[in-house]
Amino acid sequence: MSHTATHEDHSAEVRKEVTKITIILSVLTIIELILGFYMMGIEAAGTRLLIKGTIVILMLAKAFYIVAYFMHLKHEVRNLIMTVCVPLCIFFWFITAFLIDGNSFRNLRNTYDPHYKEQSSIKVEAKEAKHEEKEAKEEKKGGLKLDATRTTD
Amino acid sequence: MSTTTTATTTKLWGGGKSPFDVEYGKLMMWYFLMSDALTFGAFLISYGTIRFSTNGWPDPNKVFKSYPFASEGVNAPLVFVSIMTFILIISSVTMVLAVQAGKEMKKKAVATNLILTIIGGIAFLSCQAWEWNHLHSEGAWWGMNPFLNADGSASSTNFTNYFFTITGFHGFHVLSGVVINIIMLIMTLTDQFEKRGHYLMIEKAGLYWHFVDLVWVFVFTCFYLI
Amino acid sequence: MSNEAVLHAHSGAHDGHEDHSHEHHHQSFISKYVFSQDHKMIAKQFLITGMVWAVLGGFMSVLFRLQLGYPDANFPWLETILGKWAKGGHISPEAYYALVTTHGTVLVFFVLTAGLSGTFANFLIPLQIGARDMASPFMNMLSYWFFFAASIVMLSSIFVETGPFSGGWTAYPPLSALGDASPGSKSGMDLWIVSMALFVVSSLLGGLNYIATILNMRTKGMSMTRLPLTIWALFFTAVLGVLSFPVLFSGFILLIFDRNFGTSFYLSDIFINGVGALPNEGGSAILYQHLFWFLGHPEVYIILLPAMGMVSEILSVNSRKPIFGYMAMIGSLFAIAILAFLVWAHHMFVTGLNPFLGSVFVLLTLLIAVPSAIKVFNWLTTLWKGNIRFTPGMLFAIGFVSLFISGGLTGIWLGNSALDIHLHDTYFVIAHFHIVMGVASMFGMFAGIYHWFPKMYGRFMNNTLAYIHFWVTFAGAYMIFWPMHYEGLAGMPRRYYDYSIWESFKQFQDLNQFISLVAMIVFAVQFLFLFNFFYSIFKGRKVTTMNPWEANTLEWTAPIHPGHGNWPGEIPEVYRWAYDYGKDGVDFIPQTTPVGADESVEH
Repeated sequence: MSHTATHEDHSAEVRKEVTKITIILSVLTIIELILGFYMMGIEAAGTRLLIKGTIVILMLAKAFYIVAYFMHLKHEVRNLIMTVCVPLCIFFWFITAFLIDGNSFRNLRNTYDPHYKEQSSIKVEAKEAKHEEKEAKEEKKGGLKLDATRTTD
Repeated sequence: MSTTTTATTTKLWGGGKSPFDVEYGKLMMWYFLMSDALTFGAFLISYGTIRFSTNGWPDPNKVFKSYPFASEGVNAPLVFVSIMTFILIISSVTMVLAVQAGKEMKKKAVATNLILTIIGGIAFLSCQAWEWNHLHSEGAWWGMNPFLNADGSASSTNFTNYFFTITGFHGFHVLSGVVINIIMLIMTLTDQFEKRGHYLMIEKAGLYWHFVDLVWVFVFTCFYLI
Repeated sequence: MSNEAVLHAHSGAHDGHEDHSHEHHHQSFISKYVFSQDHKMIAKQFLITGMVWAVLGGFMSVLFRLQLGYPDANFPWLETILGKWAKGGHISPEAYYALVTTHGTVLVFFVLTAGLSGTFANFLIPLQIGARDMASPFMNMLSYWFFFAASIVMLSSIFVETGPFSGGWTAYPPLSALGDASPGSKSGMDLWIVSMALFVVSSLLGGLNYIATILNMRTKGMSMTRLPLTIWALFFTAVLGVLSFPVLFSGFILLIFDRNFGTSFYLSDIFINGVGALPNEGGSAILYQHLFWFLGHPEVYIILLPAMGMVSEILSVNSRKPIFGYMAMIGSLFAIAILAFLVWAHHMFVTGLNPFLGSVFVLLTLLIAVPSAIKVFNWLTTLWKGNIRFTPGMLFAIGFVSLFISGGLTGIWLGNSALDIHLHDTYFVIAHFHIVMGVASMFGMFAGIYHWFPKMYGRFMNNTLAYIHFWVTFAGAYMIFWPMHYEGLAGMPRRYYDYSIWESFKQFQDLNQFISLVAMIVFAVQFLFLFNFFYSIFKGRKVTTMNPWEANTLEWTAPIHPGHGNWPGEIPEVYRWAYDYGKDGVDFIPQTTPVGADESVEH
């Protein structure tokens, strides 16, 4: 197989493509980071959500470029592309159902567990929180020890 | 090989050859990665579910704000993690070049690029080790969360639980990727691929490595950005 | 076209037939029977391990049926075998729960997943698509040994001092997440998780292999639409496994952290008697259920689809008719495979799942009735006016169809979230899933074993014993599970230790006794099958023709005792689909027969 000449051409082409994709990925990441920094100063929930949405779209774009070009999927036979991409559609329902139910769980608790709601609205000092955590941990350790003695009985 | 000149769909699926024109190992690698995508997907979706079912959540910018050799009270959110992200992207690029060099049967270029990829992987793991260590020194670990919610209320431990579990699982994948790449490097240097007449193993290792990069894209977004 | 050359070098790793005949002489006992890479031997290993587990799992059900049928009686021999778990010959509540849990886990995963699809995917895929072996025989071997390791770990959990896990086969937290919650939640649960993790690895290795083999290694002319339906079913089974087991794996990893490292993924607001309030906060036990059932629901199709595929094939062969609606059969398999991923939360209607989300799950769940009905009608129309040969395999295949209909219809009831409020966790559910998934799949497995036994061992099984086995099992299955529907409708909950102390359920005492009695008889009859199986391996009537059932598929073109590589010469080429029975007045035309000049058009 004397494909040397075409090989060289092809090789240059690939290198060009790789450079292009690297630049695209870098630019997308930088935009993401800029959005991230921008978001820090924003309090409005709606705007934050909008920015988060944009970041997710950029994330998907990055994923597309990695899979399509780095993993070479775009240059595979169409059937292979389909067998890889189509089953992953289950993620749509996977994500939707899980998140809806998570959200519903919060609403239920906020509605029917006033203690929970009250607890999560009390502001605490950072230091105190640390202390509490430690205490909780010690408590847990104590609990485990207790448990150990119980099992040896 | 001139029989494949008219490769219609029926011929592709007609048996006696791969309908995708790939060898079985690559096919298996793809399907393994899909399966692994569901493992990570399940982790990240669980994280999302818990986050959706909790009233408050810590602000990542107030948690991940330091970098190595920084002074104690430094406030530089997103800086260190962007470095990690770029390390992984660059290591992915060198991996592509290694795969390409393998297709062209250029042993030296394969070895060089593999070494660069391995260095990138180790660099990423080191960054992660530093970050974990740093967070641990702040009192964060599985079951311990020193950080408050963004609104100032007490946070459950699930922020750190998920962070360490998922980045840990990803780190484990990076580690195994590095090990695989080291094996590939040894096989390259000992001329095993030259003897086989093809570098297809490198291609499969490459797929795995890119997948690790791909997962990081999601982990990075979910934990550090939003 | 260097790629093509590579493809050849890889997929044709066993192409050198010349070497083949020599290979056998060098095989040691270890490489032939233990660490074998021959798909046929691996299939037999899966089958026999599965049988061992079926006996153990079945025996467990007999033990807890004893408790349910005779709650007041004492059986001294129970103390002999169970020791402190049955003091005075009376099974303790802890032992009862442990038995129920292990029975479920073992039957669902080890018998009906590994034992069924592990056996027949390994055995039939290369033989029916015309390949020398699996894509990666080595990974195939690993798949079995991971399963074996999982078996050993699960078996060892039975002998742990605190007993095996006892919180139900679904292993819901907090029982599974907190060692203090119950005796079985201690090291028994650790071993349970380890065993299941090994099992996930095994099924992943196997599944990847099956998919790659079916797609890449079909023989020349074997297009996807010429594949026997067994292969299609096994293909979708493998896809389901590869996509759903990793989710369970993630769920288990989170569970391991909850158990051992103080996290609270699934835990919140928990108080344990004797331990006190736990510090864990913010988790959600429902999350585990979502993750579990995201696997759990595809899992029931992982169990059922191989049985469906084999039944389709056996019905067609023994009716001497082409399968009715071949493309519809593939389409419905595909539809079931897709829907399997979309309906998991119908197991969770009463957990506090969002009711509006629940109604979407109701809709998706009821959609499964469509492909299921297509399959049922196609099986019935395949039988219609067929020239039926009632071989044991055929009887079990027909039994499968019967059970699938009976059990499937109650699924339509349970799929409604409103009805489920009443029926959830009652014996109605037990009856439903045991008939449609448990016994039906066992019937598919029996059908497969009776039908392909001649190919596996070159001998026939005894028909008389097989007929007794069939009729007792068939009648017994209905007698055991049919009455449970009534108990369930009356509200009798599952997993209770002793119903005789409940005023509302006392009335079922005699019925429970009847069920237990039948269960014991059916269990005993299975030994007839086991005897038949092992006796026939060595002493059965020898197969004298290559194609004893006069079937079309490729496995019957291989020698009676195929070696590693399956066909001694060239791999057969395929010219037609697998169901040319009674075409143009010819009884059967094997797939390897070229299409004749004056033959009517292909299906």
